[in-house]
Amino acid sequence: MVKGLVLHPQDDVAVVVEPVAAGERVQLSTGGEIVAVNDIPFAHKIAIRVLTTGMPVRKYGEVIGETTKGIAVGEHVHVHNIRSLWHRR
Amino acid sequence: MSAAQLWGYARPDGNIGIRNHVAVISAMDSSNPTVRRVVQAVKGTIGVAPSFGRGEMGDDLAQHVRTLVGLGTNPNVYGAVVISLEPESAKVIADGIARTGRPVVAIALEDVGGTVKATQLATEAAIEMVVEAGKLGRLPLPWSQLVLGVECGGSDGTSGLVSNPVTGMVADTVVARGGTVIMSETAEVLGAEHLLAKRARSEEVARQIYEAVEFCVNYAREMGIDLLGSNPSPDNISGGLSTIEEKALGAIKKGGSSVVNEVVGYGMRPRERGLIVMDAPCPAVENLTALAAGGTHVVIFSTGKGNTVGCPVVPTIKVSGNPYTVKALRDNIDVDLSAVITQGMTLEEAARILEAEVVAVCNGKMTKAEVLGEVEVAISRIGRTL
Repeated sequence: MVKGLVLHPQDDVAVVVEPVAAGERVQLSTGGEIVAVNDIPFAHKIAIRVLTTGMPVRKYGEVIGETTKGIAVGEHVHVHNIRSLWHRR
Repeated sequence: MSAAQLWGYARPDGNIGIRNHVAVISAMDSSNPTVRRVVQAVKGTIGVAPSFGRGEMGDDLAQHVRTLVGLGTNPNVYGAVVISLEPESAKVIADGIARTGRPVVAIALEDVGGTVKATQLATEAAIEMVVEAGKLGRLPLPWSQLVLGVECGGSDGTSGLVSNPVTGMVADTVVARGGTVIMSETAEVLGAEHLLAKRARSEEVARQIYEAVEFCVNYAREMGIDLLGSNPSPDNISGGLSTIEEKALGAIKKGGSSVVNEVVGYGMRPRERGLIVMDAPCPAVENLTALAAGGTHVVIFSTGKGNTVGCPVVPTIKVSGNPYTVKALRDNIDVDLSAVITQGMTLEEAARILEAEVVAVCNGKMTKAEVLGEVEVAISRIGRTL
């Protein structure tokens, strides 16, 4: 069953529609499958691409912020590794 | 889906309401206890008893008065009993309501001899008005006259996936039928204002959207506040939203995809139909008050983590796509769209369910917030009293 919704082809993250445990396989709505690095709570984001520090992060096909550290495929993407671009304004 | 017939109550100003309330309005907070007593005594009344009002000045006072008059002249209001400490403040609000042809009685505690006498007079006036209001039958309310408010609160990772886009689809339907949709919560547009401005009818409207957002940014800066400190909020973050941009991209989906025809200020009545942006603060009670003063008949309130509060004047339909929230807050959520996530229900099917609920509520079905009396009013302050 699909557990990771990819909302736009350009997105770097999927939204998990069930809580996911570290090591669990997550089938993506785009057809692929990834392995969760961390526990990921319901409706939170999981990385579907490798992201390096300072890169823009896309969801809905739009930039939702930038990475503050490197993020591996399958990692929980949240306030500990991405931040708003509004800190620059 | 063919358009269901809506039914409402005709008002002397040409509007048609979906409720037939008698509003008991407090012009200032010192008369709030009297208002609450009257509302408790007389079924069919709603209490509008916000804090403040005494000694307000300038734009702050103007906004307080305008909002109370806006609430008293909302299409859902038949007539009003306005209570205040002294006659002038009651009169300015009563006169504003009376200009729409609605019945109004103004009572000043100082004039009539204090609390007990004012309670008696207000109760008598309210009883008479409720009985008169009950003589009205419902008549057809064209969709082109419907004003729908859209709001979100307690957003989480499901809001942008389910409840906001589905709310947006219903909003698009209302606009397609010639009606009006008001979306608000300026600070929640922050980070997605470019997408909203792109849909503006004119450069002027686009500029007003940018200006409203820029005001939030500049105000926070002037106050030395980190705008990102409160946005996303702690419940947004625990719900999976990481940044203000992510929250905004989900939030603006509740307005649908229509052209933005006009930007209006706090509690202002739009001149245009179609999609309207109201520049007003995000917190639910303040925002619902602004939407109600702006003439909305009904509000769809999209929530992820949950929100319980409604507005006394305007039925507030709580909708969520979060399967945990719809169980945990079943007392408060009106529309459960969690099947989109748990059973693969399409957003189109979800929108049909939500539209059917809007029709039912317009035609008399009470929302959970109405059943529980879980309603509140707060008028935003834009200055301080001295």
